[in-house]
Amino acid sequence: MGWYRRFINVVRPDRLSREIRREMDFHMAERADELMAGGMGEADARREARRRFGNPSTQQERTRDTDILTWLESLGADLRYALRALRASPGFAIVAIVSLGLGIGANTAIFSLINAVILRTLPVERPEELMQVTMGGKEQGTVFTNPLWEAIRDRQDVFAGVFAYSGTEFDLTAGGESRRASGAWVSGDYFSTLGVRPAVGRLLVRDDDVRGCPPIAVLGYGFWQSEYGGARTVIGKTISLDRTPHTIVGVADPSFFGVEVGESAQVYAPLCLRPGLDSRSNWYLRIVGRRKPGVAPQQVATRVSAIAPAVYEATVPPRWGVGERAEYLKNGLNVVAAANGLSPIRRQYQRALIVLMAVVVLVLLVACANVANLLLARAAARGREMAIRLAIGAARRRLVRQLLTESVLLAGLGATLGIVFARWGTSLLLGLLSRGQLPVSLDVGLDVPVLAFTLGVAILTGVLFGLAPAWRATRIDPQAALKANGRGVAEGHSRFTIGKALVVGQIALSLVLVIGAGLLLGTFRRLVTLDPGFKRDGVLIVSVNLRNAGYQANRYGMVHDDLLGRFRSLPGVQAAAASVITPISGSSWNDFIRVDGFTPKSADDALAYFNEVTDGFFAAMGTPLVAGRDFDARDRLGAPPVVIVNEALAKKFFHGASPLGKYYRPVEHDSLGAPIQIVGVVKDAKYQELREEALPTAYLPLSQDSAQSPYANYVLRTAGEPSSLAPSVNAMVAEVNRSIALELTPLSDQVDASLARERLLATLSGFFGALALLLATIGLYGTLSYSVARRRNEIGVRIALGAGQDRVLRLVLGEVARLILVGVTLGVVAAVFSTRVMTSFLFGLSASDPATVAGATTIMTVVGFAAGALPAWRAARVDPIAALREE
Amino acid sequence: MSRQRNDILQGTLVLLILKTLSAQGRMHGYAITAHIQRASADLLRVEEGSLYPALHRMEQDGWLRADWGLTEKNRQARFYTLTAAGKKQLATEQESWARLTEGVTRVLRYA
Repeated sequence: MGWYRRFINVVRPDRLSREIRREMDFHMAERADELMAGGMGEADARREARRRFGNPSTQQERTRDTDILTWLESLGADLRYALRALRASPGFAIVAIVSLGLGIGANTAIFSLINAVILRTLPVERPEELMQVTMGGKEQGTVFTNPLWEAIRDRQDVFAGVFAYSGTEFDLTAGGESRRASGAWVSGDYFSTLGVRPAVGRLLVRDDDVRGCPPIAVLGYGFWQSEYGGARTVIGKTISLDRTPHTIVGVADPSFFGVEVGESAQVYAPLCLRPGLDSRSNWYLRIVGRRKPGVAPQQVATRVSAIAPAVYEATVPPRWGVGERAEYLKNGLNVVAAANGLSPIRRQYQRALIVLMAVVVLVLLVACANVANLLLARAAARGREMAIRLAIGAARRRLVRQLLTESVLLAGLGATLGIVFARWGTSLLLGLLSRGQLPVSLDVGLDVPVLAFTLGVAILTGVLFGLAPAWRATRIDPQAALKANGRGVAEGHSRFTIGKALVVGQIALSLVLVIGAGLLLGTFRRLVTLDPGFKRDGVLIVSVNLRNAGYQANRYGMVHDDLLGRFRSLPGVQAAAASVITPISGSSWNDFIRVDGFTPKSADDALAYFNEVTDGFFAAMGTPLVAGRDFDARDRLGAPPVVIVNEALAKKFFHGASPLGKYYRPVEHDSLGAPIQIVGVVKDAKYQELREEALPTAYLPLSQDSAQSPYANYVLRTAGEPSSLAPSVNAMVAEVNRSIALELTPLSDQVDASLARERLLATLSGFFGALALLLATIGLYGTLSYSVARRRNEIGVRIALGAGQDRVLRLVLGEVARLILVGVTLGVVAAVFSTRVMTSFLFGLSASDPATVAGATTIMTVVGFAAGALPAWRAARVDPIAALREE
Repeated sequence: MSRQRNDILQGTLVLLILKTLSAQGRMHGYAITAHIQRASADLLRVEEGSLYPALHRMEQDGWLRADWGLTEKNRQARFYTLTAAGKKQLATEQESWARLTEGVTRVLRYA
């Protein structure tokens, strides 16, 4: 009877009862016929048939119970028996459950991240209808200017609702050092399109988003809880955003976190409040729409694409050159599904998470092999039990089922423990992720997909590691097993081969993981220790914004000069300078330049990167000046324009000749700017990221920039801990003006943040590599110990016949060597094929880096022999008399 | 598994059913009791109370296959057939029965 039928029997016992009743009625009818043939009257015959049959209802119940209970009861009995068997050998149970718990926990933790970052849909109404508007084409740009957004909003006819938003970080403090809260500028239909409801008060509506709107704000639920303790009286109060008071009108629904997965907007302000709305070259808005019911995604794409020419025609940025305009008008519009939200985290971590998932699956396989090995050893010990049960008539299938119940129970207990590990693991993972440039806020709670995944993994692993041992355990000849006097006979030779194969597999898989971990750790180490061209320690970055501090725009330069002077005289500050861009900050500025004698191979070939700095910047950063001079008092506004370039620029545009005294000209749209003279050359320094090849970079003097910016990033070098400067910096700036917004970041933190993904991969792969190594060691140790115990007689005989301890040692260690050799060979081959997928994560070494492979192999071999040493030593110490007496 | 008190009888009944079906092919419950009674010259009588639970359990164990069909008298009956596993089981049970009877006989003769 199939499982399906049995299941039906349990769920629909009435149907089964009817069938049994029919069968019994037939039986009684036949009996009555027979009695009548013998001459009995019909009524008597029926009564007699019934009497002989007994109470049909009781019979019916008994038969039905046989059908249902045989199945259910045997399941219960299997479970009880399995529990008893596990309690009987707690050591085995603990090792198995902890191995599985670690394996399953690791899988659950990584899967819950993948679920949160990649798979889950936004917690809004009908997320499948949401589509993000992109620029189409091969670049698939996703950010738009406000004029573009307005043009699209006014021309589209396929969305039931459409909105634009721009993630931002609002400055919450009214004075002194900034405190940031993530937030978003959102257009009027943001909440209504998403179908978000207010928890308190009201949300923003279309009428809130009109030019000249009053400053209002909506709070995210979590922010409301943490900042205001969930007080309802918050409605109508003001909150300072970027040093401007805003009236709080409402709080969003608890489940809503915005549309960017991994970020959690805490404050929402209407887009109309954002400065610079009319700029046609300021790109910051993302656009999402909800397609009208009944409009297919393809139709949406077609219609949106159709309005593109008119949209771009209406929004061409002024002062752009002919070529640039033509390029601009070539842009298109397209849509992509946005049901899962948009996510910079996803773009950054998708591949890393998938690699990690592969890693934890391997770890789980190693754990499974371990448990399978333990089960095999146990099966041998239980050979007699199995033999007896087979001999008294148990079906082999039945025994296999019972053993499988045991393994699935083990896996279930492992999974339970795994969920506990996963809870720790995910919070650890989030901690690692949050050290990156983007703040990460993810809900990685145990939801249905995660639990289903864990359950599935548990059952699958239970069957995976249980099947082979169960099969082997029941494949014994009961007569032989029972006749032979006990120990050591039930397991045939081939049982042991499975054990060895498992150990070899474990060694191979662990080696792959150790090599992978070695590559990622090597990458991380190289990135952390490489010379970035500046000294990353001992520098405090002070980001200053004068915008809302009450200064006239034409006084910004003076205020900055004053601040720089004060920073330089602060006690503990060895050097200080200001710059527009600090390295590895995520900001970048590039433009085309023209140099006589340099012919670009393509348009992009003439690209150079820029920064604007004050004198003393290179000294403060620790970037050596290799030729020429630093900026000084001569380089005023109105004096001949000068520039300092790095070696990469000199090499590329001047073919290695000294560029001192030579000129380049900036390409300004269709024309060329005035020539700028090169007065100094500095060493190359990393600009956007540590991995990059040195970019040709030009440093312009801030003192020659006529546009006065409210922003500046000061770099303060100190001999001590950079953050120790914070109190005096804060006090000093407050003395000048309490309204000046400032943020303090040690340069080393900023550089570290760019390595968040590398740190995550290195930490986790290192951890999992070590875990796999440990599991494989346990497996090897267990197998060898068992093998030695099994061969006690043989070893006893050998010693009795004169074999020395060293011979015995060699015998066992020879076996270790063979297992390791085969495992390591397989592992290296597998690693060469599989580590290639990691190439894009690596830096400074190849996916088959010989030193890493050799190192990992050495570690594996040493650890393997260490695992084999104890059993070997035990074998050598076998007392031949005792061993033989046992026989 | 639910345990019956008359274990030996239960075991024997299984053997008898297996043998009957192996010899006679497809049969319904009533015909099985009739056949056992006839073949044993009325020495053995199968209790209906044990027959159907036994048949259903043997079906669960995969030794028998059951399906509904019509008898020659045009009545609906549940017919049982031996499966391959059932044939194997019959061989095993026959052998252990032979051992048991031989053992018992020897004990009775020499003890």
